[in-house]
Amino acid sequence: MVRVSRVLLFKDGGGGGGNALLTVLSEILVCPLSKQPLRHCPDSRSLVSDAVGVSFPIVNGIPCLVPKDGKLLEDQIKLKVDDSCIAKGES
Amino acid sequence: MAWLMRGKDEFVDSVAENLLDRLQDCRKTFPTALCLGGSLEAIRRLLHGRGGMEKLIMMDMSFDMIKVLKDTDEKFARNNLETFYVVGDEEFLPIKENSLDLVISCLGLHWTNDLPGAMIQARLALRPDGLFLAAILGGETLKELRIACTIAQMEREGGISPRLSPLAQVRDAGNLLTRAGFSLPGVDVDEYTVKYDSALELIEHLRSMGETNALFQRSNILKKDIALATAAVYQSMFGGEDGTVPATFQVIYMTGWKEHPSQQRAKRRGSATASFGDIQKHFGRGSC
Repeated sequence: MVRVSRVLLFKDGGGGGGNALLTVLSEILVCPLSKQPLRHCPDSRSLVSDAVGVSFPIVNGIPCLVPKDGKLLEDQIKLKVDDSCIAKGES
Repeated sequence: MAWLMRGKDEFVDSVAENLLDRLQDCRKTFPTALCLGGSLEAIRRLLHGRGGMEKLIMMDMSFDMIKVLKDTDEKFARNNLETFYVVGDEEFLPIKENSLDLVISCLGLHWTNDLPGAMIQARLALRPDGLFLAAILGGETLKELRIACTIAQMEREGGISPRLSPLAQVRDAGNLLTRAGFSLPGVDVDEYTVKYDSALELIEHLRSMGETNALFQRSNILKKDIALATAAVYQSMFGGEDGTVPATFQVIYMTGWKEHPSQQRAKRRGSATASFGDIQKHFGRGSC
């Protein structure tokens, strides 16, 4: 039962909330450390700050922009979670 | 966390109501607003379309808090208001410069370590002529508890340690606004006295608001006998005839605007073209 509701929440956060999130992202949200724009990476469900090389997770459609939630991008390359996203960003 | 999610609280509600009421005093509308941590739930519940908001960003340090708010979002049917939920820190505000019309904070900012820094970031995030509106707990808050706790500790341990978080004084609030660079700063104070059935009930209420000691270097153990002694001192010094104990909450409301050419300001010294003597002559004669 719990699992089912979680899946539903996840879908909701990923679909309906996603577009609205992108609008607010482009207009208002920035990296908390550098105040530079964030890039949305749908594959890893995160917001990437290219200026400082940190990615911030989006959990259930909620962007977590507290510095301690940020992960340095090098770690993610090791984990191969973010590979495709970074390739897209560079091209 | 369960303590913090009890929902309705009359004291918090009246502060939030008072804060939101100020939006109606402005002719301006605030299409894009940011609501900082603290009593987000009360603000959302009591907003009732005030301030002409179109986008409202709710921000709190705690993911769990934000998640609960987001999950209950559907209950609040609002027309033309989009609400976004973000986990963020006031001291590292993830908001673009010049992108907001309003920053509102209800009983949250007294928790920040670097209050001036947080306020400067709030000002940067505002558009020119944007409004910063905040309610914080002032230094007179829980003075009865401070006194009772100090006496109990002096009596039992021969010394005191800080049991209650330090809070801003009224004069600090004005300085903070000026230091953060807000124009037309305004500060006013309200005191609420809440009556409890017992001192223990007061502690329970404080916990439910999440307003227990935030000091890092505190002594973690409050011995049982000191707690009981505090309750006894509290009851005997401040208890009313009907057996209730009062607790004072001082709320400081701060208002500041981001600078804009349309705002009134003092003229340069010596720029006057008429003398006060002439004015007195003119009006003095007229009134006689």
